Amino acid sequence: MVVITDAICSLCGSLCDDITVTVEDNVITNVERACILGRNKFVGMFLHDRIESPMIRKNGELVDVSYEEAIDEAAKILVNSKRTLSYGWCSTSCEAISKAIQLAEETGSLIDSTANVCHGPSALAVQEKGGPSATLGAVKNRADVVIFWGCNPAHAHPRHMSRYSSFSKGFFTQKGRKDRKMIVIDVRKTDTAKLADTYVEIEQGSDYLLVTALRSAINGHEDVIPDAVAGVSKEDILELANVLKEAKYTCVFYGMGVTQSRSKYKNGDGVSSLISDINQHSKAVMIGMRGHYNVTGFGQVATWETGFPMAIDFTRGAPYYNPGETGANDVLVRGDVDAAIISAADAGAHFPQDSLKYLAKIPVIQIDPYANPTTELSDVVFPAAVVGVEAEGTAYRMDGISLRMKKLIDTKFKTDEEITVDLINKVRELKGGA
Amino acid sequence: MQTVTLSLKEKNAIPIEADTINPDNFASKSKDEIGAILVWYGNAQVTIGEVFDVAVDGSDSTENTKVVINGDVSRVKRIGQEMSAGEIEINSNVDMHCGSNMTGGKITINGDADSWVGCEMKGGEIVVNGNGSYYVGGGYRGEACGMKGGKITVTGNVRDYLGEHMCGGEIVVKGDAGLLPGISNNGGSIVIEGNTTMPASEMKAGTIIIKGEAAELLPSFAEDGTEDVDGVTYRKFAGDVNANGKGVLLVK
Amino acid sequence: MSELLIKNAVVCDPINNVNCEKMDISVKDGKIVESVSSGAKVIDAGGKLTMAGGVDGHTHCAGKINVGRFMSPHDMRMTNVPGLSGKEAPTATTRAQVGYNTPNAFAIGYRYAKLGYTTIGEAAIPIIGARHTHEEFEAIPILDKFGLTLFGSNWQVMEYIRDDEPEKLAAYVAWGLKASRGYGIKIVNPGGGEAWGWGKNVSGLDDPVPNFDVTPAQIIMGLAEANEKLNLPHSIHLHCNNLGKPGNYETTIASMKLLENLKSNRDRQVLHVTHVQFNAYGGTSWRDFESAAPQVSDYINSTDHMTFDLGQAIFGPAMTMTADGPVEYANSRMLNAKWSNMDVELEDASGVVPITYSPKNFVNAVQWAIGLELALLVDDPWKVMFTTDSPNGGSFVNYPEAYTYLMSAKRRAEVIEGFPEMALGRMNIPGIDREIDLYELAIMTRAMQSKIYCMDTKGHLGVGADADIAIYDLKPDSVDTTVEYAAVKKAFSGAAYTIKSGEVVVKDGEIAMTPEGRTYWVNAKMPQATVDAMQVDVAKKFKKYYSVSQSNYMVEDEYLPHPVEITTEAV
Repeated sequence: MVVITDAICSLCGSLCDDITVTVEDNVITNVERACILGRNKFVGMFLHDRIESPMIRKNGELVDVSYEEAIDEAAKILVNSKRTLSYGWCSTSCEAISKAIQLAEETGSLIDSTANVCHGPSALAVQEKGGPSATLGAVKNRADVVIFWGCNPAHAHPRHMSRYSSFSKGFFTQKGRKDRKMIVIDVRKTDTAKLADTYVEIEQGSDYLLVTALRSAINGHEDVIPDAVAGVSKEDILELANVLKEAKYTCVFYGMGVTQSRSKYKNGDGVSSLISDINQHSKAVMIGMRGHYNVTGFGQVATWETGFPMAIDFTRGAPYYNPGETGANDVLVRGDVDAAIISAADAGAHFPQDSLKYLAKIPVIQIDPYANPTTELSDVVFPAAVVGVEAEGTAYRMDGISLRMKKLIDTKFKTDEEITVDLINKVRELKGGA
Repeated sequence: MQTVTLSLKEKNAIPIEADTINPDNFASKSKDEIGAILVWYGNAQVTIGEVFDVAVDGSDSTENTKVVINGDVSRVKRIGQEMSAGEIEINSNVDMHCGSNMTGGKITINGDADSWVGCEMKGGEIVVNGNGSYYVGGGYRGEACGMKGGKITVTGNVRDYLGEHMCGGEIVVKGDAGLLPGISNNGGSIVIEGNTTMPASEMKAGTIIIKGEAAELLPSFAEDGTEDVDGVTYRKFAGDVNANGKGVLLVK
Repeated sequence: MSELLIKNAVVCDPINNVNCEKMDISVKDGKIVESVSSGAKVIDAGGKLTMAGGVDGHTHCAGKINVGRFMSPHDMRMTNVPGLSGKEAPTATTRAQVGYNTPNAFAIGYRYAKLGYTTIGEAAIPIIGARHTHEEFEAIPILDKFGLTLFGSNWQVMEYIRDDEPEKLAAYVAWGLKASRGYGIKIVNPGGGEAWGWGKNVSGLDDPVPNFDVTPAQIIMGLAEANEKLNLPHSIHLHCNNLGKPGNYETTIASMKLLENLKSNRDRQVLHVTHVQFNAYGGTSWRDFESAAPQVSDYINSTDHMTFDLGQAIFGPAMTMTADGPVEYANSRMLNAKWSNMDVELEDASGVVPITYSPKNFVNAVQWAIGLELALLVDDPWKVMFTTDSPNGGSFVNYPEAYTYLMSAKRRAEVIEGFPEMALGRMNIPGIDREIDLYELAIMTRAMQSKIYCMDTKGHLGVGADADIAIYDLKPDSVDTTVEYAAVKKAFSGAAYTIKSGEVVVKDGEIAMTPEGRTYWVNAKMPQATVDAMQVDVAKKFKKYYSVSQSNYMVEDEYLPHPVEITTEAV
């Protein structure tokens, strides 16, 4: 029996790193401190729905083949493509992401992460106004006002509030929740909202209007605010603005309710400006509630390797970046690519119908531990180790802090990184032979 | 006068990137020379002659060169990018970035133009006889300035972020505009003859006139009397107050 | 084993008192040796200028620069310095490159190598973010790297200083260097990072840090004493309080004076003050802003306990990035520019804001002059490290341009022609005729770094040194660097050869190969009893205040595949 302490939970962007895992005969038998989502991943779930063998679609059916045959077939698809989409790479390690970028570069492909369907607009917002942020521990130790805007950590990030935000106790917040005002802004009263001191319900898609009104209030322009904005009374807006001005330290945690509703990245852009304005009076920061445990890592690695955090197009050699044109769904909806490689993310389950229809028409390579809706669309399939359980590597928490995930048990499966390196080598071989 | 006619041989699916198609590159060149100019087709380069039938009539300077493009070029990007003079006529819908960064001359699109038409243009004129899409006359990611000069006219509708970060020049949209037209306007002039939503956010300078309905005016503009333009009286708003803006927003 | 003989090199090697003399250099297994066998590969330098590989002792190349990249996709297509900026497609040898102020990691390696630099020092590593810094270090090809660890607003540091626990403080610093795999102590706006946690700043050396009952002066002294107790190879590396404010030169000189009587067991300074250009401002506001470089230089000329670097400003777009959080927020409001910030739990803060320096702007013109005045008014070049605080004052790819300002009064006069009249009255450059020669340039760009970082295998070409060598297409015998500045700039922009650890990595200004570089870090030993006592306090910090576990905080060996561990013993 082995007991591994301070293991890192590779489920959501909270990246809890205080997990104790007991392993007996290469089986995880006990997990302490993880939330229900994390526990399910560690114990049992990762064993289910596993892809057991490399597969190639022949006559419409996926059939087991040797690893070498699958690598050969996948490399041929990549070499023959005029433009491949490489997508996902978020439930995996930074080391694998680095290799995926190299593969995209060498094949003149376009590479994008799951940010395309979640926090991509947050990056665009940072590119407009910057990202005034903090590590989660700064919030834990200082924040007397915590705002959750368009996010529901009670369900999506279950330990966030106890470890880092609402309930956490820190140096200047010894009483935890009692030292803190918790505000939720959303379109419906979520379970997180039920825990709040103040719940502000706004009309669907009106985030930008509320942000603007709050800025006007904080900047001393009450006169331009009408009686109600975004379904919120002027009185409530002024009161909220006052709370922000008088707070010692505010953190706005924002989710897909902000990034994926109407006005998309301009909402985050507005929140960033709001944070800057609040800092004229007190202290405020913002942190995006990232979903996939290493979607932040994709953004980091891609940025230092290519200059851009996502939606990177190597079609013309040097990297080109233009979300709206080079995002995964941008090119699928338009039919701008002729092959795809999808790894460590489930496009099949999360992409809009038009994108999936197009994916069904082109050759698709999948690298994933699990059989999922993407497998149904795939022509070459590689089973992979579960990173953070069966393989080690680096991941970035939602606040940009990187941690080293441990390998907890042995596996027969290759890692995403190893498979990608094999693909790079085979592509080189085929290109060199041409 | 020189006229170069390009006719797309076969409609492509993977986009062609044709930033080499402009009067500057074609002036005083022969059919063979133009046919040998490279464009990107996916991750490889091909010649113009491989994808277009090329006809050339006459030989002249850039100013006196007209490029006529026929066939469905709705998947051909960057036509007219960085052109400085002369004329381009496109008899089709056209793909993204048409006329981006152009400094002079004229592009007429007899069809719809996809996103980023006239992006960061500095001079010249673009007429879209059809609809525009996103970021008409806008700026590229991270840039402080979109369009700086010249004029874009769209006879149909456009989508969101019309003239984003505009620092100069003029845009006229005869139809409707989507969300947030004129956002972060730093001195451009925009006229929207139809309807739009949340105009002029964070405007620092410039003028935006909405002749149709302006839905959801942002709570960051101070009403400041009325102003008459061409005999029509508009409500006048000043702002954006959060940007210490001196812009003028006129709505019915 | 691999041998290389460089013949007919005109060598400028100030550490060994070689002043541009023609000689041969022998290289074996990555080191400079007395002689090589007749089978050695031969490079004929043909009388060209030859120096040790350059050492940039203060640059932002890993970690925070990624924030700058993230927020500036427009920087990736900037081509301000042809051949050393903008986008380049991958080749058989090189990965794809982008950027100007915030180039991707590959481009940082290639472009420094093209300038003849072979070692760079990241100026600021937050301990909790150190893993990230080392990931980026590994992505930078060719160069050797080291980084300075931030301690100036660290809670444990401030508590130990407040509680008068110098032994534990030294043990903590040693532990922090190990946790971050850092090379030395960086102090940024001491106490200011903590004050910024509440949206505030400290106003000077004696303004107490909120809630911690220590002053910036005490933080500087405490860490400097710990530095000498640990016998670290570098002195404290100080970014002074009040950076960027008119009149701040008084704080700067007062900070320098604090350390006058501190002694080191090592043969080096006890204080390095960084990017002094930003801290040598006179006047009381931007209206009466003027250069205070003469006052600062006079003081530096009067003492022998310190060194400094320039933080030279370069006209055009730049990207400011610093652990000085309050300065960056103020910049963003003043410049109406985008603002990124990071409050780093228990340790520090940081910010990133773009800026453009214009010769038409009187403040920017004076800033440009201040950097040069500092270099030219300080008599002893061994005290002066050439930097632009890249990319704060401007991207490192402008170094060759900046060299010409130091080397040619004629070139300076040309630049000044474009300045507003008001600027000329606020600077001293028009009256300075000193022109730096190639020997002095070699001191400022590689030799003094060898001394101030106690890197005895770097920055020179004596036997035993690393075979990091730059050969520039410039003939010292025949070139007049005070006049032929175009040739000087061209030669330094693309080395004829850059040799790293004995391998030719640049030839004729192009990348020839891309080996992986090493990472230097310092393992400072303290008595175990002190370490154990310190660990009790640190464990409490993790239990109650950090958001990560202590075991996951320390940078693991996996992140330094090519480490060079320097060990020191405490006094």
